[in-house]
Amino acid sequence: MNNGPKQITLEEWDERYMQLQRLGLCEVGYGGVLSRHVQDGDYRLLRLRYDNSAAALRLWNFLLTEEERLHQGRAEGKKIVGTMKDLGTVPVMAYSLDNVVAFYPDGAWWIPCMMELSAGLLEVADSLGIDESFCPVRAMLGAFVTEAHFPIPDMLLCSVGATCDDFSAIAQRLNALGYPILWWEIPHRRNPEPDEAAVRLPGGFLAPQSQVEFVESELERIRAALEKTAGQKLDDESLSAGIKRANKVRKLLAKLRNATFTADICPLPALEMLIAEMLAIHFCSDQDETAAVLKDLVEEVEGRVKEGKGFLDADAARIFWVNPVADLRVMNLLEECGGRICGTEYLFSHALDTIPENLSPMEALARMAIADPMVGSSVDRAQRICADVQRFGSEAVLISRIPGASHCALEGEVICEIVHDKLGLPLVEIEVPVMTDSIRPKLQTQMEALVETVKERRKI
Amino acid sequence: MICAGVDAGSRAIKIVLIDADNKQVIANGVTDQGVEQNNLALQLFERLVKDNHIKKEDVHSIVATGYGRNIIEFANTTITEITCQAVGVRRLVSSAMTIIDIGGQDSKLVRLDKTGKVRDFVMNDRCAAGTGRFLEVVAERLQVSLEHLGEMVAKSTEPATISSMCVVFAETEIIGLLAGGKAKEDIVAGVQTAIATRVMAMAGRKIDLPIIFTGGVALVSGMKTALQATLKENVAISPNPQMTAALGAAIVASDQLKETSR
Repeated sequence: MNNGPKQITLEEWDERYMQLQRLGLCEVGYGGVLSRHVQDGDYRLLRLRYDNSAAALRLWNFLLTEEERLHQGRAEGKKIVGTMKDLGTVPVMAYSLDNVVAFYPDGAWWIPCMMELSAGLLEVADSLGIDESFCPVRAMLGAFVTEAHFPIPDMLLCSVGATCDDFSAIAQRLNALGYPILWWEIPHRRNPEPDEAAVRLPGGFLAPQSQVEFVESELERIRAALEKTAGQKLDDESLSAGIKRANKVRKLLAKLRNATFTADICPLPALEMLIAEMLAIHFCSDQDETAAVLKDLVEEVEGRVKEGKGFLDADAARIFWVNPVADLRVMNLLEECGGRICGTEYLFSHALDTIPENLSPMEALARMAIADPMVGSSVDRAQRICADVQRFGSEAVLISRIPGASHCALEGEVICEIVHDKLGLPLVEIEVPVMTDSIRPKLQTQMEALVETVKERRKI
Repeated sequence: MICAGVDAGSRAIKIVLIDADNKQVIANGVTDQGVEQNNLALQLFERLVKDNHIKKEDVHSIVATGYGRNIIEFANTTITEITCQAVGVRRLVSSAMTIIDIGGQDSKLVRLDKTGKVRDFVMNDRCAAGTGRFLEVVAERLQVSLEHLGEMVAKSTEPATISSMCVVFAETEIIGLLAGGKAKEDIVAGVQTAIATRVMAMAGRKIDLPIIFTGGVALVSGMKTALQATLKENVAISPNPQMTAALGAAIVASDQLKETSR
């Protein structure tokens, strides 16, 4: 059904959509032409370039209809749970209940970019004292205050402790505005002492048994709160089934990542890969549909790999990308500069690993939660990046810094140093604000120079 | 055969013409940057070829680099100034391992490997605090010319402490320092130290020697001393520092020409 892989504009997608329809495109309820989302105010869509496959169309439509899905869930009487500063643990618990829809309010950080600042969310945050010295996630505050995006959740959960300082401040401000939050603590992951019982975590790191037990006790508090909100028992059997469903998503993502990053010719652009990977942490408010969307993408990518089709030439510089970006245009810029995505670490690599199914579900979830890169040291994170760089054969590393995000200011240099010392690869650190239009030439220079550096190194 | 490198920087356009066979510089020139970037570059190019009795068609390959490289319509291709600086500086200083390039709006630290290829690089972020713009702001505020900043620094007895984080904050600080009676010489010295501090932050903990300082700001006297004092390492100014990226672009142009004619 698809033409050869190509990146096309939103306008070109209108034509492509009609072509796909003529060819018998089968769509789900949220399907339709992509350009309709611009009418909702997502003006940035006009400036992006998209993969031209039916699978990518479904991915984008799925992402861009999340707010509708949440409102529909509310109308159907489902309980809405906002899981803040949670990169993949509590949603697994929430989706183990059949009348709960969990979502990720932090995802509102993309709204100012998508709506090209027209939504005024950052201005609301400014007026609440959370100015641009904070992470762009502050847009979430505006989304709560304006109520113009997601429905106000029935329950809000937020992890604190070894998480992001900015987010803690933003969430505390939200709390002070009258939104009750159930705080749960996650400690900084440390290496076990020699005489301490140690536990192997998903992803390979070790943590003291006592830390895992502590996190498990925190998750038990969440279980009780979820049961109360949902009016349903969240037993181990339901949780185990929920873990299996989450693992289905994770396995599909692992397949997608492996196929995309190891292909000789890049089969899927960096932008669509970012959107797809983000599904691991929040499922776009529909876990089953997430699996269906990813299955389509995997089939598309595997088909392209088999036929040797993709974007750019086989000599495109293979770039490993660290940290997500607020402005999605920057992902397009990678390909425009002659680079291709070849490995990622978007701060939730633990949510891409399968959750152990041979343990009690709460212990398995606790182990997963404490494997979060953000609660470990930057050194651990760098080690994981090194392992993935080698696994995928990346030739350079690009670290995208999020202005205002407290962790970013500290860890970039650590990651650079370790990756350089261990692998000797070129690295560059870029800063990507919510809107990059005015600094695009600088970003372009940095990315082009990285690509040039990779290509020069090949001559040695 | 002749090749050209055009460095369309944020404050000035620089062009170098070289003999592609021996890579010797035939001519070079500089003009102020402006709104009509392509026209300004073209005028400079035409002036250079005319003054040196070269026919335009004898220039077989032109590479544009710098901030405005994509606007230079008469170039055959574009290469970033990071790669071009590495090539240009290495041509002039074959042992260079670290390049500090401070231009009008950007500052960069480029680390080279033993073969002279770029190992990695760091660029300043959005703020102009570590760039030539900072010096321009202070020169305007103190009503002195850029050329005289070095002389002033030499007379400084107690350099002021000025923020290296933000030019706008720093300008406010300068107003405060002037109001407090601080000597202009000490303020200029403080600004140069602030720029050097910003560069040091880009360098991180490891910096390979020798360090070569290039870019338009290398022409401002006192900056080399400020960098040396802050980095606690020797810093050498590249020969003809304003031209190194354009030279690198011309060399890349000649290399590309040779490859395509093989």
